[in-house]
Amino acid sequence: MKPRLNVIWNEIYCKRCILCVEVCPVGILSLEMDEIVEKPGCIRCYQCERYCPDIAIEVMDEGEKSS
Amino acid sequence: MIDRSYKELLKLKRFPHTWCPGCGIGAVLKNVAISLRELGWNDRNTTVVSGIGCSGRMAGYMNLDAVHTPHGRALTAAEAIKTVRPDLNVVVLSGDGDLGAIGGNHLLHTSRRNPNITVFCNDNEIYGLTGGQAGPTTPKGTKTITSPRGEIFQPLRLGRILTTQAPYFYARTTVYHLNHFKACIREALFWKGFSFVDIISDCIELNGRRLGFKTAHQMFKWFDERFHIVEGVRDHLKDDELGIAKREVEAEVKAEMEVEKEPKVLIEGLKLFTLEELKHFDGTDGKPIYIGYKGKVYDISTSPLFQGEKRMRCHIAGKDLTRDIEIAPHGEDLVYHFPMVGKLKVKAEAEK
Repeated sequence: MKPRLNVIWNEIYCKRCILCVEVCPVGILSLEMDEIVEKPGCIRCYQCERYCPDIAIEVMDEGEKSS
Repeated sequence: MIDRSYKELLKLKRFPHTWCPGCGIGAVLKNVAISLRELGWNDRNTTVVSGIGCSGRMAGYMNLDAVHTPHGRALTAAEAIKTVRPDLNVVVLSGDGDLGAIGGNHLLHTSRRNPNITVFCNDNEIYGLTGGQAGPTTPKGTKTITSPRGEIFQPLRLGRILTTQAPYFYARTTVYHLNHFKACIREALFWKGFSFVDIISDCIELNGRRLGFKTAHQMFKWFDERFHIVEGVRDHLKDDELGIAKREVEAEVKAEMEVEKEPKVLIEGLKLFTLEELKHFDGTDGKPIYIGYKGKVYDISTSPLFQGEKRMRCHIAGKDLTRDIEIAPHGEDLVYHFPMVGKLKVKAEAEK
């Protein structure tokens, strides 16, 4: 799994409904090889986390991000 | 920062849950858990009751006392619990097939007796668990597995049935209009009496694919086209309206008329807009984008999120967004960045 930049993705909970991919306003998430891949450029709008029906994606807190 | 303590109310060791990818029930479960957590309802003072169907599994995933009842009998069990233990908060999580079809009789009479319980109805307009047959709330003309040429009967309009006799609380919302959804959940939980939230949800695997949608998000967009949010509290909701209809006492003939009139002359330099005029300024054909907020009109053409689009998520340009902004995660200071260009005349709209 590729390193995470801004979001934590739970591979076990995720059912690949790609709701987060389509709901992202800046379009940085994508489904590649059965994995949710993120590109840099997250604006931390929390839309993916709010819409995810499986609690599988979470935006990292500011402190976690820097570490 | 976002509060994730709602996870204590979910049995995470049983996750991932059994629903299909993109199913709206997951969103209902999550948002109900968030709202219960915000109100401080926990396993000491809350019990959840669910019926049969995909949505009947919701109670099993909550870390609260849960009752899984026979088909259609969720409301009877809930009412019994409330009668014996009035100190408990009783929440019913069920679906439209369970509450509206086989449990229709119980729905009518429970709403008549008006116990203090809250019902969240996951309305996916289909019998989802059994494979996508036409249910009581399937809209006329919808193709399902049992109506390949389109459903021929009118759907059961739960909103009309439940708003005939006061006191009542009926809210209709969708899983797409998330802020509105959360506001409806919270108001329903606060309501003293029988409150019913009709959550229009998606069944992408067994209904959406047959209707030609590829992903859950396309179905959400379809909800956005079919329904629109209405402001304030209504007595009744039309079939394409999302909002809250509630009344505590039976309506009496109102003798008092509203004498108060909005003064025509306002601060100079500020144009007076009606809601009709405001609708034209939605950013199309190079026009500026105006929105209304608390009786004022703001020019938000410079907002980066509205560029080239008529809307930003649920905020629609050319509308009075007072209620939207109140329930939005951001504050009202975002609006005050933009220049004020006029005043909004709301009274005239209300009189019509």
